[in-house]
Amino acid sequence: MLALSVIQLVYVLALAPLIAGIISTIEERIESKRGPSIFQPYYDLLKLFRKENVIPAKSSPIFRIGPYVTFSLYMLLTLVLPIITAFPLQFGPVVDFIGGGLTFGAAATFKKLMALDSRSNYAHLGTSRSASIGALSEPITVLIFIMLGVISKTNNPYIINNVLQTSMTWYLSLVHWFVAAAFFMVLLVETGKLPIESHSTAELGAIDQSMEIEYSGSDLAFFKWGGYAKQFLLMSVFLNVYTVPFWVPMKMNFDSVFIYMGIQLLKLVGLAIVFAFFEESVSKFRLLKNFDYIAVAFSMAFLSFLVFSISG
Amino acid sequence: MNDFFMLIGFSEILLVIFMQWEVYVAKIIKTFSISSYAVSVFLLYLSFVQHSYLVLILAILTAVIRGFFIPNFILKRLARDPWRERESKPIMGTASSIIISLVIAIFAYVLYEATMLNFIGVLSGAIPIALVFQGAFLVISRRNAFIQLVGYMVMENAAFLFTGYLFPDLPFSVEAGTVLDLIGVVMISGIIMRMRENSPKKSDDIDELRG
Repeated sequence: MLALSVIQLVYVLALAPLIAGIISTIEERIESKRGPSIFQPYYDLLKLFRKENVIPAKSSPIFRIGPYVTFSLYMLLTLVLPIITAFPLQFGPVVDFIGGGLTFGAAATFKKLMALDSRSNYAHLGTSRSASIGALSEPITVLIFIMLGVISKTNNPYIINNVLQTSMTWYLSLVHWFVAAAFFMVLLVETGKLPIESHSTAELGAIDQSMEIEYSGSDLAFFKWGGYAKQFLLMSVFLNVYTVPFWVPMKMNFDSVFIYMGIQLLKLVGLAIVFAFFEESVSKFRLLKNFDYIAVAFSMAFLSFLVFSISG
Repeated sequence: MNDFFMLIGFSEILLVIFMQWEVYVAKIIKTFSISSYAVSVFLLYLSFVQHSYLVLILAILTAVIRGFFIPNFILKRLARDPWRERESKPIMGTASSIIISLVIAIFAYVLYEATMLNFIGVLSGAIPIALVFQGAFLVISRRNAFIQLVGYMVMENAAFLFTGYLFPDLPFSVEAGTVLDLIGVVMISGIIMRMRENSPKKSDDIDELRG
């Protein structure tokens, strides 16, 4: 079990930048550009690790330790979420879905503290935007978790995967698909794809880029690597728990886990293509239009309750 | 059967929520067209289940008139380029209207459960009731006459869904009459709206710059 936990950790940390690179490359190709190599995020991380750190004179130790704390929290999440197995690994029982959500929330909160501590106006701008979007998207996530709890009678993501893998009734139910649609919309928000252009450095839309603006060197590398890991984890949860729970090994077997690692990568590449097409084909909203998008995501999550109630 | 009805019904509810989200008139009309096709697919399925050629005719009429003819007719009535026509100043904010539309759906469910469920006996009958209220809300939450007309037609679609599933014995002439009535309503509304569009009004060029 411990060995598999370590394998899962290495798998996520090693492949997270690759998925980010694939998304960027596909986006560039859609725009008829050659684009960077899919390994560009690795080159960026290597370059950043070689550079020195510059720390704002007035920042506190929070600024310095922040990237490492958030990175550690994402590593912890890697150990407890169903990424390459549908049976709990060594640390699986540590948290349930709510606990996982809280850990994601803790990482997001720490990122905001770090950004505030940098004393940069741009970082504060990003923090403010991130907080307002997070405050609206978090209740949706809670609704989604509650509905998944209704489906599986538990809050454990592994059991939810097992239920959806084995019960076609639940898998095909409208309740499940409304929840999946709501989570997809939240996933786009959480990974900075929609509703606004958050991966731009332009002042009008920047969120994460503003928050990390004062970081450099290895601090920035850990900040970015944590971001890639977060995206990888959320995409994996979306695939393994919500939409394509199949083929994830439900019993301890090294061979099937290793085979599944390849399948999981293919699933992620498929989702990366979907992401890239979404980003390129759906026009971005202005900041003030965020609420409309979030309201629709909320409607999806809430309608799943109505479906459940009507279908009995 | 009930599962299919729920699938179509909730798709309709989602489409109405999408209409609340949208500001471009042409997109709203196209969404209504999709929603009409969904109703006709349901009627088609119903005709196979009930082995009724009358329901089959109704499904075809729904697709042709509500799905194709009426949306295209309205699109041609739009004064300017259809893709540009939009409502820049809705009566209430988009996000609030989406949430209110959702609350209306829940209210309709509670109302249906408390009043009509006893004699109809099918819980999913709440879906068309919710659609009727949501359509009415679309009418009152918008200023644009074309969108208001679409809201009215959403209510008609809901009535169709309701009678098609819960009262299959309703005479064909009544239901087909409803479909055909709509043509007259849309044509007269089209003429009135064209007259309204052509009447002098103050410039709203600055509104066009809003997001």
